[in-house]
Amino acid sequence: MRTIVVGLGNPILSDDSVGIKAAGLVRELVAGSERIEVVEAYAGGLRLMEAIAGYDRAVIVDAMTRGDCPPGTVLPLRPGEGAGTRNMLCSHDSDLETSISLGRELGLALPREIRIVGIEAEDVDNFSEDLTRLVEAALPAAVAEIMLLCTSPAWT
Amino acid sequence: MSRITIDPITRLEGHGKIEIFLNEEGDVANAYFQIPELRGFEQFCVGRLAEEMPVITNRICGVCPEAHHMAASKALDALFAADPPPAAKKLRELLYCAFFVTDHTTHFYALGGPDFILGPDAPPGERNILGVIRKVGLDVGRQVIDCRARNHHVIKTVGGRSIHPVAGLPGGWSRPITATERDEIAAIAKQNIEFAQFTLRIFEEVVLKNQVYLELVTSETYTHRTYYMGMVDDRQRVNFYDGMIRVVGPDGAELVRYHPDDYAQQIAERVEPWSYLKYPYLKAVGWKGFVDGPESGVYAASPLSRLNVADGMATPLAQEQFERFFETLGSGKAGGRYRPVHYRLATHWARLVELLYASERMLELALDPEITSPDLRTRPGAVTGRGIGCVEAPRGTLTHHYEADERGILTRVNMIVGTTNNYAPMTMSIKKAAQQIITKGKIVEEGMLNRIEMAFRLYDPCLSCATHAVGKMPLSVKIRDASGAVVRTVSRN
Repeated sequence: MRTIVVGLGNPILSDDSVGIKAAGLVRELVAGSERIEVVEAYAGGLRLMEAIAGYDRAVIVDAMTRGDCPPGTVLPLRPGEGAGTRNMLCSHDSDLETSISLGRELGLALPREIRIVGIEAEDVDNFSEDLTRLVEAALPAAVAEIMLLCTSPAWT
Repeated sequence: MSRITIDPITRLEGHGKIEIFLNEEGDVANAYFQIPELRGFEQFCVGRLAEEMPVITNRICGVCPEAHHMAASKALDALFAADPPPAAKKLRELLYCAFFVTDHTTHFYALGGPDFILGPDAPPGERNILGVIRKVGLDVGRQVIDCRARNHHVIKTVGGRSIHPVAGLPGGWSRPITATERDEIAAIAKQNIEFAQFTLRIFEEVVLKNQVYLELVTSETYTHRTYYMGMVDDRQRVNFYDGMIRVVGPDGAELVRYHPDDYAQQIAERVEPWSYLKYPYLKAVGWKGFVDGPESGVYAASPLSRLNVADGMATPLAQEQFERFFETLGSGKAGGRYRPVHYRLATHWARLVELLYASERMLELALDPEITSPDLRTRPGAVTGRGIGCVEAPRGTLTHHYEADERGILTRVNMIVGTTNNYAPMTMSIKKAAQQIITKGKIVEEGMLNRIEMAFRLYDPCLSCATHAVGKMPLSVKIRDASGAVVRTVSRN
């Protein structure tokens, strides 16, 4: 069973980078593991689908701007669930679901299961390498959620 | 008029937002395209070392980092007065061609093509790449994914890292390629040429042989007679990586051909009180509003524009297609050059001509004896204080302008990205499309979003780059009556 963790977002756009930062922390925790790999991705759609091909499971970590929960809220989601997260879609090709369906029809080895860890953002309008305070404080909870998924033998 | 809201959306951030204003008679008076603004990029950069820019700017956007990496590397060449050795320039251009192949391929099969292959009135849920392969066959889908994969591999080989290249340095390139890598790239370029020709055949079968589509392409709805901008080589042929910027008028006559360093003398930015967007226009002509014609300084910079400004293509197969393009859609020659094609939907065809050119040029570069040379770096000199780097991005002319102190620390950063050039023409295209849908207060809702989307999809606006709006193209259209009241909102998440 091989799991890929994808940190998704823009690394220089304040809280939009939270997925990448959380995934970076997970990378340190799973260093040396043959079962868990961590990558960064900056665009959704086809590129995200291509990034997770070849793995049994995928955990995608991304910022959310739902507006119905406080900044720093960590939510485990399934693809297509709720308001979604910020970077699953690419304006130049397609959304993740279409990309996954495409990949499956073409016979690509795509993960049987995909989970998303969304982290509610506060600032996604200003260029910065830093997270806002509440979002920064949510990193441990996000990392715990990702690790729980990575180490769990079965997802329910 | 009472306010009618359809499918209201609560969250507009990240949405492409279109507002349509009606006059007293209920006809379209104005249409505006708005996208969210991102702030502070210049402040983010000022105070940093200029050398960081090729890596920083390619993170502005997850879609065309390669274009920013090239423009930034070229700006640094100028800032540090270090003209790269020929092999470094060739490697940069080689990587850039691979990028154009993936980008143009993806646009055609995932975004532009579905309107024709499935039809402009097909349900939105089917009008995507999945719908395309269900219609034309699984094998085409495999070819698209294979094309992306093999060219991503080239970008990684030449650029040192997949997607976000890191090899660009002031005065050159950090990584030579081996003879084995060159052979592999040449083989990939040959596959690209075949694939580009195959794609042009699909376009021929599906669009050019279909009278209804041909009429749609050449309809007044999707026609604007503007100025055009694009980069040309020393023989006035299309070039993506280097050259002079040529601007031609609606009649095809050259208005100006300038060095990218002089962009600020040629381009001004119009600020409108209702929008935070700045609309670039040609200073020499002047701003006359969102109108076309020779008196209006509005210009477009796109694949169509690049073909319109050029005397031809620098590779043989693409040149054949170039001629076919203008013979089919154009209105003859003037002064030895084809007159511009003003049909905006022809941009989809122009993009495929460029796909073939990028493929052929990639092979030429791979077969160049110098391409494996390890001589890739000119030692940077003293900081000149200013560096401007310009390339053609898939969506239009991209300019990076940096100023730095004597230590190379940035004091000013300005960028005009491909999409920004097209803000005014996009606004005009949306208005024209809206005028077809709304007359005397009567709104044809059937297929409305897509007819409007088609008008700007052909420009493939990179909202990520322009302001980094995120998401595919969630769209909200608001229609307001003469009093400003919202009479209809149509949206799709």
